[in-house]
Amino acid sequence: MFSIYKKELQSFFYTPFAYAITALFLFLFTYVFGSAIAGLEDTSTLVFSFTEVFYNILFYFIFLLPILTMRTFADERKFGTEVLLMTSPVSVMKIVISKFLANVTVFIFMIAGSVLFPIITAANGTVVMSQLICAYIGFFSWGVMFIALGMLISSFTESSVLAAIIGEVMMFVLLFIDDFAYTAFISQYPKLQNVLLAFAAQSRFTYFSQGFIRLSDIIFFISGTIVLLAWTYISIEKRRWNRG
Amino acid sequence: MITIENLTKYYGSNRAVNNISFTINDNEILGFLGPNGAGKSTTMNMIAGYLPMTEGVVKIDGVDISQEPVKAKKNIGYLPEIPPVYPDMKVKEYLSFCAGLKQIPRGKRKDEVERVSKLLKIEDVSGKLIRNLSKGYKQRVGFAQALLGDPKFLILDEPTVGLDPNQVMEVRSIIKDLKKDHSVIFSSHILSEVSEVCSRVIIINKGDIRAIDTIEHLESTFGGSLVLHIRVKGSKTVSASVIELTKGVKEILSIDEIAADEYEFAVRLDGDADEIRTSLMSELMQNKINIVEIFTERPNLENVFIELINRPARKTSLEGLLDEIVPVDSSAESSKKEEN
Repeated sequence: MFSIYKKELQSFFYTPFAYAITALFLFLFTYVFGSAIAGLEDTSTLVFSFTEVFYNILFYFIFLLPILTMRTFADERKFGTEVLLMTSPVSVMKIVISKFLANVTVFIFMIAGSVLFPIITAANGTVVMSQLICAYIGFFSWGVMFIALGMLISSFTESSVLAAIIGEVMMFVLLFIDDFAYTAFISQYPKLQNVLLAFAAQSRFTYFSQGFIRLSDIIFFISGTIVLLAWTYISIEKRRWNRG
Repeated sequence: MITIENLTKYYGSNRAVNNISFTINDNEILGFLGPNGAGKSTTMNMIAGYLPMTEGVVKIDGVDISQEPVKAKKNIGYLPEIPPVYPDMKVKEYLSFCAGLKQIPRGKRKDEVERVSKLLKIEDVSGKLIRNLSKGYKQRVGFAQALLGDPKFLILDEPTVGLDPNQVMEVRSIIKDLKKDHSVIFSSHILSEVSEVCSRVIIINKGDIRAIDTIEHLESTFGGSLVLHIRVKGSKTVSASVIELTKGVKEILSIDEIAADEYEFAVRLDGDADEIRTSLMSELMQNKINIVEIFTERPNLENVFIELINRPARKTSLEGLLDEIVPVDSSAESSKKEEN
């Protein structure tokens, strides 16, 4: 199991991939951070919230995460190396978990770079630490669940580009599902609205970013991740049965 | 020992493998022969535990691969049709990753990687990216991967494809060496290769087993009767009549004039070739005809193969049914009887 984790990390870090995606993330973070500062009204005290930065970065991030996860299973199929994994004495569940952990590791590497911004800010002003930590926890849980989603989509197809595109569309839909649920049209059907809101990750992230850690939100992200990983496992097994 | 019982695979409604049963004994190289699309790769994928079977059981040393996959897979080395290599890894990296995947203890991994690299002569490319290797090298890296951890059973799907003739010879000799303490199942559509390497062959077409037998037996049963070529110096008419009248000669197939007074006869025999040849020679000599050359043309596996795969799979007449049953060995026979 560790061998697969190690190999996945090698494929991220021995190639420019992990660095390029981290650089892109930091570039976007800088852009959002910079525009938040530039947009401040000229008053005697400069106040802006990091949570807002995280909130805005979510939108850009849904285009980055599928790029991270797109190759997970699609490339294994494309190069025929899936056979190697499936015929080795490692269970499919372990393969899924190792790959998931490797993706999460790269994700941690990505967000680790962003710590630089609060540090610089703290050196020249005050940062509300509790709020910042909550925002990081929320951002991390959100990312982990969407990594599991990206992996699931990658297990559906042989083309990593297609996996990225479908992943981006799916994440876009999930990010804006609550906006959609609050439209006048959906509000006519309260039951449907409730169902849609049950999938809304954005509002849960809002609580985190405001400094609330609610058990229900944590459970939402954890259970979402578990369900998506289990689904990935089922999808791989199912394809082995149906493969033509 | 690998036991395969009533293995069947459907892709949707399309039947790829139809109720096949056979065993792979210890220290045996079993050839798996069939045209493209015969179900060879599907069968091998099922034996290696990559594809689940629709029906049937595969037991690796008594362990059912669908019940206890992890335990069963520990004893298998598998080289699929397309070598399962990661293009963005170096050869050495790839092999040590595979060693880890096969749960070879950390301390032994390096030695194991060196052993297989040496065996397949890929040491000189160990630092190269697999992406940059030629097809032959990729194939050998894939083969090296299958040998890691010295698994008892090796499943090799067309291991010599893409190699140059020199490498083909080397790989064949490696496979032959493996026979000492391994069981190998080896697929190919190159007939000469199978007859050189394997002790037993399975001929498969359209998902059905057409024959399981030793090569010698297959050749003698299916190759048709022997053809003897005799080159003589002397009168054409005398020789022809002498040959025709000799006991055991079925017919003269052709007479070619090689030079003045020198003819080559192709004669179909019916019976023991050695005996007929001796009597032919003495008859001709008694009639003062000089024999320049005499040789028998062996029926080859190619003919056997073509004949077997072109047979209709379903028996339409009683005669055809008997024809089918006689040459195959007992295990295939019983499965065929079940079908009927």
